[in-house]
Amino acid sequence: MSPRVAVVGAGMSRFVRRAQETGKELSWIATREALASCELKLDDVDAVCLTSAPDAFDGVHRKGDYLADGAGAWAKPYMRTYVGGGSGVFTAIQGWYTVASGLADVVVCVAEEKMSSCQPHPQGAFLTIFDNILERPLGPNLLWIFALEMQRYMQAYGLDKRDIAQVAVKNKRNAAEHPAALLGQADITVEDVLGSETLAWPVQRLDVSPISDGAVAIVMASEDAAKRLTDRPVWIQGVGWNLDTTYWTNRDLAYPEYVENAARMAYGMAGVNEPRKEIQVAEPYDPFDYKELHHLEGLLLFDRGKAPEAAADGVTARDGDLPCCPSGGLLGVGNPIAAAGLMKIAELFWQLRGEAGARQVPGTPERGVAQAWGDLMQVGTVVVMGNGGGPLATATQSPPFAPRATSLSDQEFRSATGAVEQRLDTRYEWDPGEAIGAVLDGLREQRILATTCISCGRTLVPARKFCERCFRPTDGWTEVPHTGTVETFSICHVTWDMRPLDEPQIPAVIRLDGTSEGGFLHLVGEVAPDDVRAGMQVEAVWKPAGERVGSILDIEYFRPLEPELRRELVAVAAVELPVEIAP
Amino acid sequence: MSPTKIPGELSVSFRYTPGVGNTAFFEGLRDRAVFLGSRCEDCGVTSVPARIFCERCLAELEPSLECGPEGELVSWTLVRVDVDDQPLERPVTYGLVRLDGADTVLLHRLLHTGGEPAIGERVRAVFTSPREGSMLDVEGFAPVADGAGP
Amino acid sequence: MEAMALRVGVAGIGWSGFSRTTEGTSYKELMFEAARSAYADAGVDPRSDIDSFVCCSEDIEEGTSIFDEYVPDQLGAVQRPVQTVASDGLFGVATAVMLIRSGVASAVAVESHSKASDVVSLGRVDRFAMDPVLNRPLGVSPTALAGLEMRRWLHVTGRSESECADVAARNRAHAATNRRASYADVHDPTPLFDPLTREQTAEPADGCVVLVLTTEERTPEGSVFIDGVGWSQDAPSVESRDWDRAAAAERAARAAYDRAGVEPGDVELAEVDDTFAYKQLQHLEALGLSDLAEDRVNPSGGALGEGHLREANGLARALACIEGLRSGDARVGLAQSWRGVPSTSAAVAVMRR
Ligand SMILES: [Zn+2]
Repeated sequence: MSPRVAVVGAGMSRFVRRAQETGKELSWIATREALASCELKLDDVDAVCLTSAPDAFDGVHRKGDYLADGAGAWAKPYMRTYVGGGSGVFTAIQGWYTVASGLADVVVCVAEEKMSSCQPHPQGAFLTIFDNILERPLGPNLLWIFALEMQRYMQAYGLDKRDIAQVAVKNKRNAAEHPAALLGQADITVEDVLGSETLAWPVQRLDVSPISDGAVAIVMASEDAAKRLTDRPVWIQGVGWNLDTTYWTNRDLAYPEYVENAARMAYGMAGVNEPRKEIQVAEPYDPFDYKELHHLEGLLLFDRGKAPEAAADGVTARDGDLPCCPSGGLLGVGNPIAAAGLMKIAELFWQLRGEAGARQVPGTPERGVAQAWGDLMQVGTVVVMGNGGGPLATATQSPPFAPRATSLSDQEFRSATGAVEQRLDTRYEWDPGEAIGAVLDGLREQRILATTCISCGRTLVPARKFCERCFRPTDGWTEVPHTGTVETFSICHVTWDMRPLDEPQIPAVIRLDGTSEGGFLHLVGEVAPDDVRAGMQVEAVWKPAGERVGSILDIEYFRPLEPELRRELVAVAAVELPVEIAP
Repeated sequence: MSPTKIPGELSVSFRYTPGVGNTAFFEGLRDRAVFLGSRCEDCGVTSVPARIFCERCLAELEPSLECGPEGELVSWTLVRVDVDDQPLERPVTYGLVRLDGADTVLLHRLLHTGGEPAIGERVRAVFTSPREGSMLDVEGFAPVADGAGP
Repeated sequence: MEAMALRVGVAGIGWSGFSRTTEGTSYKELMFEAARSAYADAGVDPRSDIDSFVCCSEDIEEGTSIFDEYVPDQLGAVQRPVQTVASDGLFGVATAVMLIRSGVASAVAVESHSKASDVVSLGRVDRFAMDPVLNRPLGVSPTALAGLEMRRWLHVTGRSESECADVAARNRAHAATNRRASYADVHDPTPLFDPLTREQTAEPADGCVVLVLTTEERTPEGSVFIDGVGWSQDAPSVESRDWDRAAAAERAARAAYDRAGVEPGDVELAEVDDTFAYKQLQHLEALGLSDLAEDRVNPSGGALGEGHLREANGLARALACIEGLRSGDARVGLAQSWRGVPSTSAAVAVMRR
């Protein structure tokens, strides 16, 4: 039995599109408010836990070191943990084990993101999260993977876009009561979402939570310290985290198994056997509207494919049977990535104390779950929190009470005194190693190579020298056919840095014939976008021998195997997104 | 054989706003050729450049205290290679300067012309003109003994 | 705070690389090799016996954002609890200790690696760690901070440049018998950032280290135990840090000694950060180990002799220390890391056999 750890305070900055404040200053705003909320001085803090998503947003290498002063870490034990988009919830897990280990009594957990620094558009940083050798040459953007996953989710369960869009509506309406929110909108409708610009089908602009700047902090304490500090500690009852394989194109994207694994770990620790009965409020991760539904299923709160129906019935509304994202979530409050995750923990803290004011869920909730997600649709982080059934406060005001941050217009941002522009000028010569080296040689010779594991009997594409399931070296090489099936696809209208494309791109996960779930990300061509279907048979179209250099681009694209489906791509009207509304 | 190494980069650029504290500091440099700092009375520490918070106690600070333009040389180095480890044609001297009234140091170029710098030596900021609001509004620090200054 | 030693066991150690380049081996393949040998050393199957995985890396060093996406498969960590600590490997050791002490894990794998040979411009990587508006516009190499700190430290302590040169020579002599050393033969007094010279600066190397840490109950008798950990940092700003001493290493050491219930005088073997030769002397002072016999300090040759494994340097020091304790050379050992310029972060582990 692990020692009991509680959350005793929380604070946050405003979430804004472009903050004048540095990441240090945003962190300070949140940390100071969190300490003030429980009347602590920095001297009372034993250790500081920090998280922040990629350095490529803030544009600072070793961002953890850089942010130390703003997080209140001067001369204290201090560490930055990191699990991509899952980081914000994870930093509460970091705070939990820092205290539960007995190495600290009182810790501050801080999550910061200043995405506006990244140019030409912060979404550009996401190009750098893809595989350096096999994916980045395709120019992927973040919308691709969400669109591919959303399409697979919709297709697997026969879902309607309307059922998904209502999540965005609910969360943006909820956020209208959040004083730190960037995107609260009390009068938004499903028609607004369904009518917004299509970015990468099925993803439309209002399905997405846009990039933002902001910071959140919480204070955590050991049982003794918590009882000394507050009458209403909110206990961390369970924590769970889980990372799935890097080879995301080998997975069925319809269901987030890693979220289920993390949830089972957290529920197990919390002694929650029937989450649907024992959880009264949830803050699932909602960077895109469908993700909330996907995650509610992974959290075992709804059957697979059934969350949209429940949402349509109002179950997840703030006054429903299982209020979800009463904060307004990322879709409503904003999405400074790591900060947005910790905002969910802060919201549960306020809800479970009865302090959420206008956002307070009805009844007397005793237990809540917060969850975040990240990486290549790969990581789940889950925290179960409870008030032990204590009495709730009745609050008239909605926290946070005075969230700060100075929002700059694009023009103010461009003309700010003392602003510095710099390109990330690091250069690399990546060693593909034995496995990918052989794959590249194969591509140059118009061959698609795979490795095999005799222990599990799988044929692995992309090839690797180790079988991740059996944890043993692979046994040999084999060549696989150049044909396969479209597992899932998207029709994308924007580039990686959110510029409109003249002609849509059709990224797809291609399952190659003769492999075991093997496949990779590539583009589909010679087809009308309306004719592309999941399950469509395709074949590789290769560059001529003299032009192949040993690259994933030696395959130009995949085209329908059925000649009747092949045609020239037709140019469609590009989407022009004003800078203020581009996600 | 395919290339044994795959060239790559991280294709992003940045535009950094200097933040609230540094904005006041840069405006001081640009408009008045002064170094603005902030003092935390609780900790007894004066920081230059100005900060909106004390890093030791997180108190909110005012960026209002003028320090320098003279100060003491805390350390110096002769930089002979660039960031890529290639020899510089002309080595450059950098120093750490504790401005009068400040407890912190500034990293900047030293403008010594004759003789080596010495730790503890008095130096004085040399400003550029016109100034734009940047660390480069300071050309560097010169020995007070040279009579450099306004 | 705890007065009892932490008693987290080192059940297994593994490594790969430790050479100037590892051409033809990807970072994933380097990690797989080190992990396999650590698990074999510990006699565990990661798919069933390891509860939690901790990797220590930084995105820009790797050239990939959200680099933690790329770690689980080659560590046997798929669909398991995996996290990245964006710091030096010894911070990962401290994390593993906390995970075990909290009761959430009884066996943890800690990994860190360097594929420095993939990075054309390590200096530019480090420069991106400097403050973007206050420091970077000057265009100066971040290693200039080491030149500034070295001169200040010599001035404050009265130590000499020749003592620093002796450290470099001694570490490289130690490295001559270390099969992991790539830089035993460097004699290059070229000044870089006066008074810092090339031979007093550790050069980068490739390699990976994996440790398997377990609860006391799960650790075989006679193993090495981590009894104390500490980590801290000074002000991150160039402007407000303490330029006279290694304040973070002092604080980290105090915490580690207290947790282990030992004093500096008990330490018989130390593997300390020697990214620059003067740092070894400065760190020994911070650790209270200035009087430790010369042959007991960095007998591996340190980073000056082995080559600097970047964020894995702390694990390289821990690895050498664990091997020394296992061989019976000492009963109480210490490993210490510093993250290099422009960082002020430092960590310490105190171990006992
Ligand atoms: Zn103060």
